Amino acid sequence: MTCSQIAEQRNQLTPATTPKTTAVHVSVEHLSKNFGATAVLKDVTFSVAPGEIFVLMGPSGSGKSVLLKHMVGLELPTAGRVALDGHDAAAATTRERVRMALVFQSGALFNSLSVYDNLALYPREHRLFNEAGIREKVMRTLQILSLENAVDKFPSELSGGMKKRVAIARALVMEPSLMLYDEPTSELDPVMAATISEIIATLREEYHVTTVIVSHDRELALGIADRVGILMGGTLAMLGPAMALRSPQDPRVADFMNPKINLQHPRFKQLET
Amino acid sequence: MNHVSQTARVGLFFLLGLALTWVTFQTLNGGKVFRDKGYRLVAGFESLRELKKGDEVRMAGVVIGSVEETRLAGRRAEAVLHIDRTIEIKRDATASIVMAGLIGTNYIGIDLGSAGAPPLPAGAEIRTQITPDLNTIMTDLAALGNKLDHALVTLTGSLAGDGKGSVGIIQKIDLLVTENRASLARTTTNLQQVTDKLNRGEGTLGKLINDPKLYDEMIGTLGEIRRGAGEAKSFIANAQAIIDQVKMGQGALGALVFDQKAGEDFKSTIANFRAVSDKISRGEGTLGKLLQDDGLLRDAQLIMKKAQRALDGLEDSGPITAVGVVARGLF
Amino acid sequence: MKPLTAFLDGFGSTWLLLVRVVSHSGSLPRQFHRFIDQCYLIGYTTMPIVAILSFFIGSVLALQAGYSMQNFGTQQFIGSLVGLSMARELGPVMVAILVAGRVGSAITAELASMKVYQEIDALETMNISPARILVMPRLAATLVMMPVLTIIGDLVGWFGGAIVADLTEIISIEPEAYFAVLRRYTHFSDVLNGLIKAELFGFAVVLVCCNIGLNTRGGPREIGAAVTRAVVVSLILILVLDYFVTQVLMLVSS
Ligand SMILES: Nc1ncnc2c1ncn2[C@@H]1O[C@H](COP(=O)(O)OP(=O)(O)O)[C@@H](O)[C@H]1O
Ligand SMILES: [Mg+2]
Repeated sequence: MTCSQIAEQRNQLTPATTPKTTAVHVSVEHLSKNFGATAVLKDVTFSVAPGEIFVLMGPSGSGKSVLLKHMVGLELPTAGRVALDGHDAAAATTRERVRMALVFQSGALFNSLSVYDNLALYPREHRLFNEAGIREKVMRTLQILSLENAVDKFPSELSGGMKKRVAIARALVMEPSLMLYDEPTSELDPVMAATISEIIATLREEYHVTTVIVSHDRELALGIADRVGILMGGTLAMLGPAMALRSPQDPRVADFMNPKINLQHPRFKQLET
Repeated sequence: MNHVSQTARVGLFFLLGLALTWVTFQTLNGGKVFRDKGYRLVAGFESLRELKKGDEVRMAGVVIGSVEETRLAGRRAEAVLHIDRTIEIKRDATASIVMAGLIGTNYIGIDLGSAGAPPLPAGAEIRTQITPDLNTIMTDLAALGNKLDHALVTLTGSLAGDGKGSVGIIQKIDLLVTENRASLARTTTNLQQVTDKLNRGEGTLGKLINDPKLYDEMIGTLGEIRRGAGEAKSFIANAQAIIDQVKMGQGALGALVFDQKAGEDFKSTIANFRAVSDKISRGEGTLGKLLQDDGLLRDAQLIMKKAQRALDGLEDSGPITAVGVVARGLF
Repeated sequence: MKPLTAFLDGFGSTWLLLVRVVSHSGSLPRQFHRFIDQCYLIGYTTMPIVAILSFFIGSVLALQAGYSMQNFGTQQFIGSLVGLSMARELGPVMVAILVAGRVGSAITAELASMKVYQEIDALETMNISPARILVMPRLAATLVMMPVLTIIGDLVGWFGGAIVADLTEIISIEPEAYFAVLRRYTHFSDVLNGLIKAELFGFAVVLVCCNIGLNTRGGPREIGAAVTRAVVVSLILILVLDYFVTQVLMLVSS
């Protein structure tokens, strides 16, 4: 499936009359987060422009997921704040103003619901369409992600990659104005990973949606990102356009982006000395 | 399982719950709350005792309502009775607090009243009757027992004397009979002879036939005698019992009867018959008075009856059976 | 200090959850299917165990009461003892304990696992209140099903008592006599009393179990700990609540 085909399907999916959701401006302001004594985020400041695709990279455990959770108000900052169009993300009312979707790293599918009901939950609860409209939309979205056969399955019957795709499908059905992905391609085969990248890029074209992606996937970052941030040890080690990744100044970032496998001097042995 | 059958099951289950609740409600309360179609009556009592809200109201043992409220109204206690709509309570029916068990369950019992009486209207006050409660009955019974004991002691004392000089009734009778032995014997024999003569019609019968004046006189006398005898009959019947006893030779009376010399005065009695009968008809002398004066006879009969009743009463009571035996032996 | 703050935390969050549920109560008709699902779980599938347990509770009550009452020759009043005890106390308390063990634990386990596996977080980012779609249908179903379970428990318990009273040699009370006494001394208000209790117990238990589930933190191991805590807290709550509710109901009815 090529990028243009997907775009075509997306066009079929959404009639031209559908009002475009206005993209959100995300601004992370001096955000710090401590879990007990450990400081996970230390005074992080950056912003994402409306309609931008921002890719956040960094070694595991550096606080990327925690940062995403702050953007949707699931974690409360120790200091600083995240503002969505000027509204504090931690405030309960912000979710009513900004339609946001977070694709969790683990998928976070509703285990008691079938794949179909997982996708249909949001439009049903918010009464976006009637049942026939919901069915059409859900089925098309599943088709795009090659999940037609999984429609009546339960999450426990799916593979890790399928779960990830269902989670993405669930986010897509929501038609949000802020789309957050936590490692969307980490469990996918290269083709599906490419498909996901294509979908993300197309969505932005379709809806002018603001997108923040946490990923280790260099292909994805280089392919679709407008800007890239690299989080290391709770602070932004790098923030700049995707092209900057090709020639990073910071040696840590350079090592992170192009790790050389050195069997003569393995890294874990360097740590011992 | 599909949604429809699940909804159906839940629905049926809920209906089952409702039905069971309804059945429970009907069985336990008789559906009182929703079927409040009765009327109320007020019953005033000096004390409601153990009666409480919710207790039954019964008529002839049938539950016809319940006590809806108990309250203090001035110087008395009132129970508001809720009576079934279909039950009519007569104006002269009386309500009383009845005890159903020893553990303090009470109900209001209402009697049927008279058939013709008009029914009590709603809100009216029903006549009430104080029935002693168990405690009162127990206390009364104990008091009665004490009194009876006391009475018996006194009675025994007066019958037999207390052995300290004072004379008992029985001893008095004994004394009386002994002292008047002679005259009593004479009187008895005279009476016997008179009746014998009369029965035989000896001598007198000829005179009666030949002498119309005497006949007339005799007829009148006989009539009077017969009347007197008739009136005396009950006296004699009573006396018969005494005589029976006497024949058994007991006491002073026995001795009196079996004294052979007692027949001596038979003739003089006959001779005096006329005078006696005249006297009798004139109401002179004791016997005359006895026969003529109704009041005396009635008094005598009354005394006998009273004595009889007293004896009957005494016989029924266990502890005084001994006295009863004594009394029966005497008379 | 830590247990105290934990207790206050739980207490406060339970009330907050209740407020949130009440604020969403207008959307109950839209939760009809979830409500029916929960009714099925809380009521229908719990009924057999309620029936079995109540039967034996009634039986044992009759047996023990009969054993001690025959000392005074008052075993003919067994019907009133079983009737009142089941209706006012044991019926609601037993049903509440069963609901705590069978339904409450399941609710906590389900919500705790939803929390641990971030399903609750997902709902929140979707702006779907867990209080509305998870807690409210369960509470509503509990309110509807508790009286049904309790009346079944009461009646089955009464029959259990009747059978034992009839068949046990030292008691030997005919069912007619048993039920006559039961009817005489047990009023519907006693049954109603029990139904109100059961309603409160069930509501409190399910609310607390929901709250403990939703506030679970950490990994899968915490799910088990949360279930244990929920059941323990529920049982304590039932008995403590029982005392106060009984007091209040006695005050109200007198
Ligand atoms: N709820 C939490 N409680 C305590 N520590 C946490 C919690 N969530 C994350 N952390 C810690 O924060 C750090 C960053 O975690 P995370 O953001 O998930 O890493 P990643 O960048 O791989 O997504 C980790 O060291 C993790 O142990
Ligand atoms: Mg992560």
